[in-house]
Amino acid sequence: MVATLEFDDIQGLVARGYGTLESATFVLLRIDDPASARAWLGVLAGEVATAERGDRSEAVHVALTHSGLRGLGLPEGSLAGFPDEFTGGMTTDHRRRILGDVGENAPERWRWGGPANPVDAVLLLYAEDQARLGTLAERHAGPAALRAAGLAEVQRLDTSPLAGTEPFGFRDGISQPLIAELGPPDQPGPPLHTVRAGEFVLGYQNQYGQVAESPTVAAADDPGRVLARIGDQDRADLGRNGSYLVLRQLGQDVDGFRRFVDQASRGQADGQADANDFGYADGDAAGLGCPLGAHIRRANPRDALDPQAGPEQSVRSVNRHRLLRRGRAYGDPSDPGERGIHFICLNANIARQFEFVQHTWLNNPKFAGLYDDTDPLVATHQGNDGRTFTVQARPLRQRVTGLPAFVTVRGGAYFLMPGIRALRFLAGLPTAPDEDPSRRTP
Amino acid sequence: MPHQVALTIRAPIKPGQTGALKRLLTEMADPAGGRAIPFERLETTHFARLFVLDEVDGGLGGGAGPPIPASLVYMSDVDAPVWRHLVALVRVGGARLDDVFAHCEGWPAGSASTWQRVAWLRARRIKTDVVYVNTVGRSVAQVHGERRLRQAIEEFLDAKQAEWGTSDPVQIHAAVRRFVAGRPDLRWALEPARGPGLAFRLRSTFHKIGGPVLVLLVSPLLLVLLPVWAVLLRRHERRDMPDDPIPPGRERLHELADLEDHVVQNPFTAVGVAKPGRFRFLTMLIVLRAANYGTRHIFNHGSLTRVRTIHFARWVAIDDRRRLIFASSYDGSLESYMDEFIDKVAWGLNAVFSNGAGYPRTRWLVLDGANDEPAFKAFLRNRQLPTQVWYSAYDDLTTANIENNAAIRAGLAGPEAPTRSQAEAWLARF
Repeated sequence: MVATLEFDDIQGLVARGYGTLESATFVLLRIDDPASARAWLGVLAGEVATAERGDRSEAVHVALTHSGLRGLGLPEGSLAGFPDEFTGGMTTDHRRRILGDVGENAPERWRWGGPANPVDAVLLLYAEDQARLGTLAERHAGPAALRAAGLAEVQRLDTSPLAGTEPFGFRDGISQPLIAELGPPDQPGPPLHTVRAGEFVLGYQNQYGQVAESPTVAAADDPGRVLARIGDQDRADLGRNGSYLVLRQLGQDVDGFRRFVDQASRGQADGQADANDFGYADGDAAGLGCPLGAHIRRANPRDALDPQAGPEQSVRSVNRHRLLRRGRAYGDPSDPGERGIHFICLNANIARQFEFVQHTWLNNPKFAGLYDDTDPLVATHQGNDGRTFTVQARPLRQRVTGLPAFVTVRGGAYFLMPGIRALRFLAGLPTAPDEDPSRRTP
Repeated sequence: MPHQVALTIRAPIKPGQTGALKRLLTEMADPAGGRAIPFERLETTHFARLFVLDEVDGGLGGGAGPPIPASLVYMSDVDAPVWRHLVALVRVGGARLDDVFAHCEGWPAGSASTWQRVAWLRARRIKTDVVYVNTVGRSVAQVHGERRLRQAIEEFLDAKQAEWGTSDPVQIHAAVRRFVAGRPDLRWALEPARGPGLAFRLRSTFHKIGGPVLVLLVSPLLLVLLPVWAVLLRRHERRDMPDDPIPPGRERLHELADLEDHVVQNPFTAVGVAKPGRFRFLTMLIVLRAANYGTRHIFNHGSLTRVRTIHFARWVAIDDRRRLIFASSYDGSLESYMDEFIDKVAWGLNAVFSNGAGYPRTRWLVLDGANDEPAFKAFLRNRQLPTQVWYSAYDDLTTANIENNAAIRAGLAGPEAPTRSQAEAWLARF
């Protein structure tokens, strides 16, 4: 049975990446005055784009970190009910190890999201063109608007207009999972790409056929019955129709990458493809067409996941680790300054999805039976490890050693992108008795 | 080549010393701390670990019973014979080993001899119920040697890869063989690895045949008992009380996570309480016997019911079989380890662990149970113990790497002139 999604309660970014809204900016915020911030969120809840159908010329989305939820006054009992990765955030020792955020990539060096520059919320603004985006940004995140909302800007992440390629020159975003419940019920999508809604939205069945644990609040804390009741009516569902949003700013060394590729390939690098209806198990199990350790084989192993390659086992395993990617590139191709990608993905279980892909597939030197190869494009190497890239060939492989890191992490955080009702609930939270006066601006 | 042995030693900790011992173990886990036991000098040790089983006051699982004092557990996976490992452990461990075991009752410290210490350890050795060895007969020396072999050949090939891009694979194979033959430190690789000794193989064969013969002999009885057992099983399963699927608290999770994902392998250690009653006692006994047979004779070469990422694993029943320890060394993260188990052997997990209190509800011993992903993961996490000291003799190698290295060596030790397709397949291993 396919459940119907509550489109009017889900933020629209889950359903679409806004290919027609080519301009976007992401504003990272700190909550200074909880009371004003709640009032701001209440108004914003009415303006956030939902997942309902319809053409849009602009879209606004909002997501909150664990510290942001605390800042708004969510009771401690509810704050404790979130999964550990969301509560602790990206910067705990264990998460640093999983994500490879050490050395050059350590959170101490980040521009935002690190210990020195934490973030409470992100406002995601999309518009048809730069002019409209300017107006939208002024209205929502201009100095006057932020002051009135009791917020301070930590960092503004501008993006470059959609061009179809990321800064290294690759086509990006071709392979996305299809949400089963979004398609017409009588025409199921291809099994390779079709995934249950519960993998991305809380409150629905996931690939295990289960509805995942969702953060809740005590029913008594929601006297206005803004949220849906669960269990014996004594808890209210705060997570329902929400999604966890992962945001990471990845600086890309475009010149370094091009120099390296030219040298390693002696100028033979070529080709772009946008096919998506393919596997590896049948025609390219040995990696002679696409190397075993290549970025696209790691990010989505399709039907070739060790040790049970094939359209059933492998795809079933892989589809428990899919991400809805919503990132955008930044930086000007004609400008020698910093370029990169604001990586965004949505998932229902950060540990099983985003972190698993990062740790077990991208950063794993042992992926696909390899020894010391990490993702040649996006892995952040540590010391001398993981700097090999093997190009399988007959009769003899070509091995590139001493691969430089082309990507540097500049910032990152885990957010909850709540459903609309959850936003209204948060906006209506009472003033906490111990509300931190230091957060208030004088 | 020797076979492998799972050694388990359990010793009660002196009253009031548990906290101090845990702090010491934490210090020892830090390689820079200067207090670690130099396990790398124990040449026949694959893996080793030290952890503390906390005191249980009152009965297990809320029942009545005498308290169980806290104990220290030492586990290692070693190449036979065990006595050689123990002697080396005492000699190499020296004062640091004394520091650890001095927290236990009766450790012969000070001027006691190596043999007195070995005897003390042997006296506290407990039986391991089920042992899984990824590949029986592969010694530490073999793993280390084949790692060096592969590295040397890879570097040799690096220098030639531009030149040999279109060469005949048979000729490349021959060139590599000449290279290895010319290296005195690698020449051994031209001989195939030898399997375990004759005595081990004879014992193993006897056990392999003996098991089914025994089952066959009592089969008429089994036929009668099986329906009774099935009815009882269903009755128990309906009455069982699964735990709420709530993972451990944040502090505990962090304590566990701090010890994970430092290298490509991880240790897993957990202890659970058996469900009360004679029925579960017997069922667990039989299941463990069957599992022991399976790991010895069926899953002894590279795969534990299709899970290929485990180097070593064991089940040890303790406290009159009222508790069960599970310990393993595996590749990758705990999350992927648990996922792989759920995907491939939910039935096997159910058969063993459903005799443990709080396990997600099963049907017919093997159905449901672990398929409830969050409940199963919470069950394991809630029983997991911090593996405070853990050593791996080759923490940079996955089971896939070790297997590939062995195949590279086998390809050299095989026929001097392989066919073209054999040579091609062999070269694809680099």
